[in-house]
Amino acid sequence: MTISTSTELICFLILSSVIVSGGLGVVLIENIVYSAFLLGGVFMSVAGLYLLLNASFVAAAQVLVYVGAVNVLILFAIMLVNKKEVMKPIKGLKLRKFFSGCVCAGLLALLFRVNIITNWATPGPQAIGEIATERIGEHLFTDYLLPFELASVLLLMAMIGAIVLARRDVISIELETTKSIQENIINNSTDNVLLNQSND
Amino acid sequence: MFTTLKIVFIAVVDTGLDLEISFNHLLQGIGLPSSIAHLLWLPLPMLLVLTASLIGVLVTVWLERKISAAAQQRIGPEYAGALGILQPVADGLKLLVKEDIIPKKADSLLFTLGPILVLIPVILSWLIVPFGQNLLISNVGIGIFLWIALSSIQPIGLLMSGYASNNKYSLLGGLRAAAQSISYEIPLALAVLAVVMMSNSLSTVDIVNQQNTAGLLSWNIFRQPVGFLIFWICALAECERLPFDLPEAEEELVAGYQTEYAGMKFALFYLGSYINLILSSLLVSVLYLGGWGFPIPIDLITHSLGQSPNAPVIQIIAATIGIIMTVFKTYLLVFLAILLRWTTPRVRIDQLLDLGWKFLLPISLVNLLFTAALKLAFPIAFGG
Amino acid sequence: MVTFFQKAAEYAQDAISAGKYLLQGLAVTFDHMRRRPITVQYPYEKLIPSERYRGRIHYEFDKCIACEVCVRVCPINLPVVDWVMNKETKKKELRNYSIDFGVCIFCGNCVEYCPTNCLSMTEEYELAAFDRHNLNFDNVALGRLPTNVTTDPSVIALKELAYLPQGVMDPHELEKDSSRAGKLPSEVLIKTIDNDTASIGEKTQ
Ligand code: SF4
Ligand code: SF4
Repeated sequence: MTISTSTELICFLILSSVIVSGGLGVVLIENIVYSAFLLGGVFMSVAGLYLLLNASFVAAAQVLVYVGAVNVLILFAIMLVNKKEVMKPIKGLKLRKFFSGCVCAGLLALLFRVNIITNWATPGPQAIGEIATERIGEHLFTDYLLPFELASVLLLMAMIGAIVLARRDVISIELETTKSIQENIINNSTDNVLLNQSND
Repeated sequence: MFTTLKIVFIAVVDTGLDLEISFNHLLQGIGLPSSIAHLLWLPLPMLLVLTASLIGVLVTVWLERKISAAAQQRIGPEYAGALGILQPVADGLKLLVKEDIIPKKADSLLFTLGPILVLIPVILSWLIVPFGQNLLISNVGIGIFLWIALSSIQPIGLLMSGYASNNKYSLLGGLRAAAQSISYEIPLALAVLAVVMMSNSLSTVDIVNQQNTAGLLSWNIFRQPVGFLIFWICALAECERLPFDLPEAEEELVAGYQTEYAGMKFALFYLGSYINLILSSLLVSVLYLGGWGFPIPIDLITHSLGQSPNAPVIQIIAATIGIIMTVFKTYLLVFLAILLRWTTPRVRIDQLLDLGWKFLLPISLVNLLFTAALKLAFPIAFGG
Repeated sequence: MVTFFQKAAEYAQDAISAGKYLLQGLAVTFDHMRRRPITVQYPYEKLIPSERYRGRIHYEFDKCIACEVCVRVCPINLPVVDWVMNKETKKKELRNYSIDFGVCIFCGNCVEYCPTNCLSMTEEYELAAFDRHNLNFDNVALGRLPTNVTTDPSVIALKELAYLPQGVMDPHELEKDSSRAGKLPSEVLIKTIDNDTASIGEKTQ
């Protein structure tokens, strides 16, 4: 065993133990803020696994998207509504716990099955390392163009939905006064809003 | 003694100033296997860069105090060393020996983890800062993208310390810091993307090389003036420098997320913010000001002097000039940041978000589109 | 569509002018950097307070007639005039007088209104004390002569900006007998007196 493979193995063991224990912590810890921070740790360790697999671009993207955006937003949401209230006892909690445990166990069994029936010994595709970035770009703009565009449309829809939810005041005024929304947006907007006046 | 020095010198220069290879050669000459040599080599550049960044922080702190004093017609630090040059050291020592207070109702684990999480990504980002063709820790393929990804970890540390302090000001400061860095990350990344598009590579070394074909004229600042401005504004916002220092706005939030911190933990924040400032300035000089490049291409000078650019002495001189140029450009930008600090008033939070989302984001998108169009139209000037 | 472009053009103009103002501001800051520091290295150097400086109040016990005018004109009724009526002489007998400088706002009203001019304002301003009650000066403390910046050998006395010659900003390397820009009050006074006497002389002629 050379130095590099043994370091790799040690790193892998550390990372996977962090992922497993962190994941358990996310689910089991009562304090929701701790869960969120642990989730960040899990995301980071997953990025570490990608690094071990010689996929540095994916690792960086993982950090940027999951840690930098998703996890920060989760934390944001938690901290903005950080109400310290005692949770109401839910009826039939035991039964619910049992069912969700069953689902999780089923998933775990499925994973184990996949693990067992896959022939891991065959050499997988070679890691291409540095040129992976280019290759990802190529794939995104050729064979995966449709899913890529669909994903962006989906995100756009989610964004518009968020705006609608956030600016409910404008829409409820419309319901009451039957004025058009467009008019209201223009009236309510400050002068330097360049973007959402573009279509008048 | 002299002969060993000479051997080292030749070993260094023969390999085109790739210090790693020469170091390996040297150790193999002593009789160590190359894997051990590699292992011994690994920590050296890291330590070097760590020291360099710490010294950079000391210099910047001193500069900041002196320049601020000059801008306000004061004298500034004077008694610690000549011209007060030891003042940052004195500050650091003071912070080192101060009592490390953890408030009673604070969450001590997260309270301790917060500053560390703020500092580590900033230091890790030095991985990709080049001071010369081979003078960087590692020429990672994803280069500049690594920096963007790493800098997005920082807000988590800020949120963590803000939450763990159990203090309203801290929490608000942490939230503001996170909101700020999320919103300015996007125009920042888009500005970088335009540069990357022109150099066809994410690697910082390639980006600099692409700018150094014709000296001063080929620097990216002339091809990307808008991108340069966007990047600089966003970098200031990411570093939480004035006019964007809302997270620690002392009139409103005492000191934001660092309110409850004292001693070494506070020093970590302090270090982090200054290292981040230097790092941002370094990256601006790498992305837009030609990195280690001299305004007149070195090759041109050597040719006119009738020297071969591969001669050992020339190489050493060129490398030295490169390092000096990088540091010089960086400190020029640091100076600009300090000047801006005493010129601009702090923006309000709504103005900050307006600037980020309604001004910089559309402008940077337009800039990106424009760059793409120019690249298609003039592939020679804008990177084929 | 046209309005959109108009708005965009306005917006761009705004942005450009904002950038211009920013550059102007930077130029101002930069310009300040080449000016010399105006720092006074207190406590080794001190500025000479101006003639009408309102510092610690000086009080002459023997002149005071215990009329309590100072108390009445004081915004906070601060001076404490401790007197008793001597039945035999039917006169007020002053026993104590004190002003608490921890409370005084140095408005100078008492000085202005004192009928016997026994109060005056000095140029003393270093009133820091470890206990705020130490700032409650009695008539003995009030009667002490003020410390003087110009006569203190351990202090380099520096002139204030208004007392420097024209165009000079730095009080450090000042020539010995350089006078301030403009006339001194005494010179103005002498001139008016001269004029007055002259005009009186004209009238009598
Ligand atoms: S006004 Fe003057 S004379 Fe009268 S009590 Fe006050 S100090 Fe004495
Ligand atoms: S200076 Fe003003 S405040 Fe002070 S004792 Fe005289 S009248 Fe009162």
